[in-house]
Amino acid sequence: MTNANREFDHGMTDRDIAFLLADAASAVEIGTAPTQAVIRGGRRRRARRWAVTAATAALVAGSTGALAVTALPGDGGHRVAPATPPATSATPGPVLQPDPTTLATGTDQGTPWKVTLDVWPAPRDETEAQTLLGAMTTYGEFPADVHKASDLVGRSAYTVRQSHGDGDTLGTPVSEGLTAPADRMAGTDLDSVAVPLDPDTPGRPQRLVVGHVARTAQEVTCTWKNGTTTKVHRATSTDINSDDQTIRTPATSPYAWFVCLAPDGTAFESVAVTR
Amino acid sequence: MGDRKQAGDEEFRAFVAGRWPRLMRTAFLLTGEQHAAEDLVQSTLEKAYVAWRRVGSADDPEAYVRRVMINTHARRHRRKLREFLAPRDDSGIAREVPDSGDHISRAEDRGLLLQALAQLPPRQRQAVVLRYWEDLTETQAAEAMGCSVGAVKSNTAKGIAKLRAIPELADTVMYGGRK
Repeated sequence: MTNANREFDHGMTDRDIAFLLADAASAVEIGTAPTQAVIRGGRRRRARRWAVTAATAALVAGSTGALAVTALPGDGGHRVAPATPPATSATPGPVLQPDPTTLATGTDQGTPWKVTLDVWPAPRDETEAQTLLGAMTTYGEFPADVHKASDLVGRSAYTVRQSHGDGDTLGTPVSEGLTAPADRMAGTDLDSVAVPLDPDTPGRPQRLVVGHVARTAQEVTCTWKNGTTTKVHRATSTDINSDDQTIRTPATSPYAWFVCLAPDGTAFESVAVTR
Repeated sequence: MGDRKQAGDEEFRAFVAGRWPRLMRTAFLLTGEQHAAEDLVQSTLEKAYVAWRRVGSADDPEAYVRRVMINTHARRHRRKLREFLAPRDDSGIAREVPDSGDHISRAEDRGLLLQALAQLPPRQRQAVVLRYWEDLTETQAAEAMGCSVGAVKSNTAKGIAKLRAIPELADTVMYGGRK
């Protein structure tokens, strides 16, 4: 007997549904687990994280110089900052950067934290995609779904980062993905991730919840393990107030984004769009 | 330090080898396609590897991996599955009921279910797969999906209702030797 055990009047019992699923699942070819490839892929992901840390250090160290920034060739340029001449003479070429949005910021027990969303412009062809991929790799935001430049054409990559403490300038990636212009979420659709507030102390309670919902969502309710809830509502302006958790709708994303922080001493239980 | 890392890798290898078949089957139901399933499981396990020191020592590493898989699936396969399994335009053509036990008819039945799953919104598909294939409780499914128990109930009920409304699926059960 399955955990879901009701019977339907069409004669399809829960057991029938479970049987159909099991039968369909048996059609997949299992093969040998590619353990070595998984470990290699895992190490690459870890290396990307380290690359982000290195990029942070480089940005901080080079803060007296200007970062050359420009739009994609042929792009309208509305999603990236205009070019700035580098302070030093040796510049390998234009450097792209994502359009950052601060989703939430605050202070927890005296330590500042922040959640940001980086959105990269969608390249229109493979040449643009190749240029963009180079910039993304430098930035440590190479999306896992992209195996070759053409995978990126017409799609916008995003990375959500969390930072904790004064030294964590750029932040640690907590979520990443690709979107196409036609991507939409509707109704109570919701994707979320719950992580410890300090990414450098794994194993701590998952207090920080970040997710995306339909742009029409008005209210998201985070429920914590101690039974309390936090309701977040749509931001009324683009201003960011410290410790103000809201639903934001960046112009560059097809989704609305929210952040919830659990009170100290409890952790994530569940989250839902409630209005 | 090196020894600890090596031990962690060995533990991870054992985890992957042991869980691969089950994860593949779940991923197949979520994605509806062999290569997409392999891709989903591999990405999921790569993410688990990055956090393995924490995941491996957790009470329930499988629950963590399941949650990563559901999150990854939600992001990556929302549109792909519909494109891949878009039903052919065979409306109006009466479906013949082949002899039960026929390999071709079994394959057609499986294809029918996968197509039906493909028509469900991702959250409903996830809820149905987690509840009826993974046999998770509503609470466990809610943890995996990062939503409330109520949302799991609602998504499961809607998903099952849609499957149930497909007469061919009921025929599969009726004529496929189950009744």
